[in-house]
Amino acid sequence: MEPILQVRNVEKTYDNGVKALKGVSFDVNPGEFLVVIGLSGSGKSTLLRCINHLHTPTGGEIHFKGKNITGAKGKDLKEVRKKVAMIFQHFNLVPRLSVLDNALNGALARTPTLASIFKQYSDEDREKALEYLDLVGIREKAFIRADQLSGGQQQRVAIARSLTQSPEILLADEPVASLDPATCHTVMDYLKKVNKELGITVVCNLHFLSLVRQYADRVIALKQGELVFNGSPDDITDEWFQTIYGEQAKEVHIN
Amino acid sequence: MSLLNSDASGMDSSVSQMEKKKVDVAFKSLVLDAVIFWFLALSVISMVGPETEGYIDLQYYSFLSLGLLVVGGALSYVLQAKASIKTLGQSVFAMPQFGDEQSQTAWYLSFSNWELALAFVFALKSGIAFTDFSLIEIFDANGIEGVKRILTGILTPDFHILPRAIEAVVQTIFIAFMATVLAVPIAFVLSFLCAKNIMSGNSFTFGIYTVLRLVTNITRSIEALVWAIVFTVWVGVGPFAGMLALFLHSVASLTKNFSELAEGISDGPVEGIKSTGAGPLQVVWFAVVPQIVLPYTAFAIYRWDINVRMATIIGLVGGGGIGDLLIEAQGQLRWGEVGTLVIVIAVVVWLMDAASAYLREAIK
Repeated sequence: MEPILQVRNVEKTYDNGVKALKGVSFDVNPGEFLVVIGLSGSGKSTLLRCINHLHTPTGGEIHFKGKNITGAKGKDLKEVRKKVAMIFQHFNLVPRLSVLDNALNGALARTPTLASIFKQYSDEDREKALEYLDLVGIREKAFIRADQLSGGQQQRVAIARSLTQSPEILLADEPVASLDPATCHTVMDYLKKVNKELGITVVCNLHFLSLVRQYADRVIALKQGELVFNGSPDDITDEWFQTIYGEQAKEVHIN
Repeated sequence: MSLLNSDASGMDSSVSQMEKKKVDVAFKSLVLDAVIFWFLALSVISMVGPETEGYIDLQYYSFLSLGLLVVGGALSYVLQAKASIKTLGQSVFAMPQFGDEQSQTAWYLSFSNWELALAFVFALKSGIAFTDFSLIEIFDANGIEGVKRILTGILTPDFHILPRAIEAVVQTIFIAFMATVLAVPIAFVLSFLCAKNIMSGNSFTFGIYTVLRLVTNITRSIEALVWAIVFTVWVGVGPFAGMLALFLHSVASLTKNFSELAEGISDGPVEGIKSTGAGPLQVVWFAVVPQIVLPYTAFAIYRWDINVRMATIIGLVGGGGIGDLLIEAQGQLRWGEVGTLVIVIAVVVWLMDAASAYLREAIK
């Protein structure tokens, strides 16, 4: 099977000299649920931002469906971002807009600028946005301002926004890190649903190892900007765990 | 649920950074001490030195100042490094380091406190001299008589002028209104071009940012009264000149207010909208504008309020409005009319102030 995403020796050095990624390579297969783990500062967020081109990699190549998209600009960049949607730890919704308007923001890339400013979205996009709000179980809140919602609900709106883009890959940057444990599972379940029912490939950064075991098809681990593990979640033994998280690390369980 | 406990530490080039910080602090405290020494020495020299006729000799004082600054800096260095006495400069700029011995000196024995007190006393002395501060003038009988005359006039207002005053104050309000309404859309557009976070993308946009920032800063630093004088020459004496002066000043001020708001927006929505593949204009419209539209409106209302206050005095230089009447009545010593005008101005300014505060609170 041809990988949908190929990451080849990707490096990212920030302007202040910090080397966030030091040559990371891996493939993502179509339809899989790939989880990226690692300590804070290991480069997980940078990696996802490089794939979506919110950051430009300083070295290496990223191929999307066989096409080199590294350093894409203008129209090409727009195409990449359309197909590679992203959700964030802090949801990144527009607080003063309604839930529906936020979901419709996913259609911005295919709506002409002037039309979008006057909210002239196509009926098809409108239906799509509502349909995806329905999918994440938040349709009844469509006309409430986004900042009135709880964290978990906001993240579901963010998922709906990304789905409105009709993406082929969904990048999730620690989507549950600022949510409570119960809400956490709800959001992860919706991501799984998106993955299994809509067949959208998911690449997800996670903190909690128990979530990883529950949701991931495959796991990669980053440590100080380098790939140190690539395999099945069941293969993360205690030794691997200590390699990834350091000697003093211990897995803590909270019920 | 599982959380992760671990110890991640990244000690990189913190040592050289500390060295750099130390040098930086030493330099800043040296400069502060030198400036204080220069000020104290100049004060003493002008006190004991011979009275000079005419203007000061700039060249002489430049060389003197340079010398004094060098001596002051050297003195500060000797005190800090050789005698290890904590000067004012050090106590201002040097952050106490972890593990530093807290000095146990009583406050009246600390060198830096004496340095501060001395500088303050000499500044007070110079201030009294420069402002011709004089209690004798305040209690001068003739002066008090004059004030009494004016205050009685103002406190017994002459309401014959009321119709003219009301007409003029309405004009004043509309001078302010037009200046604000015309300034807001221009400032709105300029504010994005003057916001560092929006413009620092590449060197071209950053160039625009720098130039616009400079132009608006200069425009803003020139008082509206001065602009009014310029415009009375340009378009003639009258309300139009006053309106244009306030307009120009408002554009510059609002651009600054607005761009600071635009710089303070949260990056989250910007990132979120960007990630969907939206174009640059769409990012501004959907991620930036919703965050700023209410604070912008609040500032615009506040500006109208300020402009009404400024428009009441813009007439003093021929800019129309109620200030025209005020300068006329004052020039002819008709204090009763001045009293009426002052009352009208006070009422309008108070009303505008209250209304703008109420509106701004309501739209929060």
